[in-house]
Amino acid sequence: MTWFAWRQFRIPSWITAAALLAVAVLLAITGHNLVDEWNASGAATCHGDCGGALTTFIQRATTGAEGIAFQLTTVLLYAMPALIGIFWGAPMLARELESGTYRLAWNQSITRTRWLGTKLAVGGAASALSAGLLSWAVTSWGHHLDHARYYRILPVMFGARGIVPIGYALFAFALGVTMGMLIRRTVPAMAATLAIYVAAVVSMPLWVRAHLAPAVHGTMPLDLSSIDILSIGQNSVMTVRSGVTPSNAWVLTNNTITPSGKIFTGPADPTHCGDGGPRECIQWLSTLGLRERLTYQPASHFWQLQWMETGMFVAAAALLTAFCFWFIRNRLT
Amino acid sequence: MSSPVLQAEHLSKRYGRREALSDCTLSIPPGHVVGLVGPNGAGKTTLLQLAVGLLRPTAGTITVLGGRPASGGPQLAKVGFVAQDAPTYAGLSIADHLRFGAHMNPGWNQQLAADRIAQLGLDPSQKAGKLSGGQRAQLSLTLAIAKTPELLILDEPVASLDPLARREFLQALMGFVADRRASVILSSHLVSDLERVCDYLIVLVASRVRVAGEVENLLATHYRLIGPRRDPADLPPGIDVIEASYTDRQSTLIVRSAAPIHDPSFAVELITMEDLVLAYMARATTSRQPVLETIR
Repeated sequence: MTWFAWRQFRIPSWITAAALLAVAVLLAITGHNLVDEWNASGAATCHGDCGGALTTFIQRATTGAEGIAFQLTTVLLYAMPALIGIFWGAPMLARELESGTYRLAWNQSITRTRWLGTKLAVGGAASALSAGLLSWAVTSWGHHLDHARYYRILPVMFGARGIVPIGYALFAFALGVTMGMLIRRTVPAMAATLAIYVAAVVSMPLWVRAHLAPAVHGTMPLDLSSIDILSIGQNSVMTVRSGVTPSNAWVLTNNTITPSGKIFTGPADPTHCGDGGPRECIQWLSTLGLRERLTYQPASHFWQLQWMETGMFVAAAALLTAFCFWFIRNRLT
Repeated sequence: MSSPVLQAEHLSKRYGRREALSDCTLSIPPGHVVGLVGPNGAGKTTLLQLAVGLLRPTAGTITVLGGRPASGGPQLAKVGFVAQDAPTYAGLSIADHLRFGAHMNPGWNQQLAADRIAQLGLDPSQKAGKLSGGQRAQLSLTLAIAKTPELLILDEPVASLDPLARREFLQALMGFVADRRASVILSSHLVSDLERVCDYLIVLVASRVRVAGEVENLLATHYRLIGPRRDPADLPPGIDVIEASYTDRQSTLIVRSAAPIHDPSFAVELITMEDLVLAYMARATTSRQPVLETIR
């Protein structure tokens, strides 16, 4: 059965291997340049305040071929699990059910359970391996950039680094198989797989990820030298937000509070925050004893969040797989 | 060797509210080529898929060669199945299909499979998707035979074939039966396909088994009576009227009777398998009362 599972999987796995090879070539070429720029900018050898060197490096590294490669690989790491779900997962059972060949396969001398188990093992291993390879290649290629600027804890980068892509890939694969089994038609199963995968992956930074590790709470005096938002609305309602946040952190909430701990909403004093311009208004704000209250996930939580999120997706994949076994034994009759 | 190849007790299969097979009780002795005949939609495919374990009964039980269908590797190995329309993997070559069979079946006979493909004049490197309907059916039969089953089940194997391919297919099937002494169950909606190859007949109409038995016995106990018009209720006991048709003066009855009929008012004729099947089909559509009889 293993031979046959591979035989059916041969062309998709060749295509994937070829695509991975193309990406590897791209990364090898641009990676070489990245290292040169890292050394040339002085960031490699600087001690203490490296701000200038890093800015130079980022400027060079995010333009031209490297910049394109950076964006491309980020997109690719999100797209790859979707492609795995669509082109490996969805057709795996749907095509057999659609074309009737399951009636041939299920009347050989092996049980459906073993048949499904082998197919899932081969497809699942290939999915995890492909996503893992790509993520490893991109992570090691971009580690200078990640270090210099592109905080990997931030929502967009998080899913394109580390081990999370493996979790996404396993989930997308199991999801595709399940959809194919339930819908029994390849193309609609592909569409359903894509829709659910996108919904699952997008919902993580929006609603779930922030709660996977206890967030850090911090309060500090409001630094008025860097104000992100200063607005005065109807009835003199004010919104003030500082732009000073811990570096490399994913800021979840950022509120300006009064000395009594309530969120500061004004009212704005018209004598200071009127025609005099923002400078006078800020001057007035500095006399109010305002503080900045933050909740955030610091960079040090990266791996904890990675393991938690990967675990969630692997668990979801395991549940879908268990459902497939149950369904194929008890419902597809 | 005397235990039945297929035994069904009050077997039923429902899809939602539609009854595909109702209260089917059957016992097929081994060593027969069994023809399962009935109009399209009668439940033939349902019965055969229950026998190979592709379907599970809604009620009742079915045992095949003493085991529950598809209950494990050994049970699956004992039954060969050619599904309706002979499904094959369009993208795989004939040689790949044989390799598939070899990997999936411990009892695989590669020599037998390769010889059959050569005999059919097929190129092993050809993709199954490029084969004609007849060639595909032959490939499916090869796969089913080469796993060396004790029972071969074929669902409408010749329905989509032209007359020549039909004859070749049935010849190949008979060759297998002669060589292996295996039992065969095949379904068809055409009696003519079965007439030459079957020695056991099951007539299935509108989800119910109407008659089942050895062809020889069935033909020896069914008669056509032609005589002056009369009410079939006047016939002596022991004679079951299957079908009756009348003109103004004449009655034509198809009857079943265990004993020979000696009624001088009738001309008594033996009937063909086709007459018999048609009579039971007609009876199923005219009478509502279920008929459940089995000759063993």
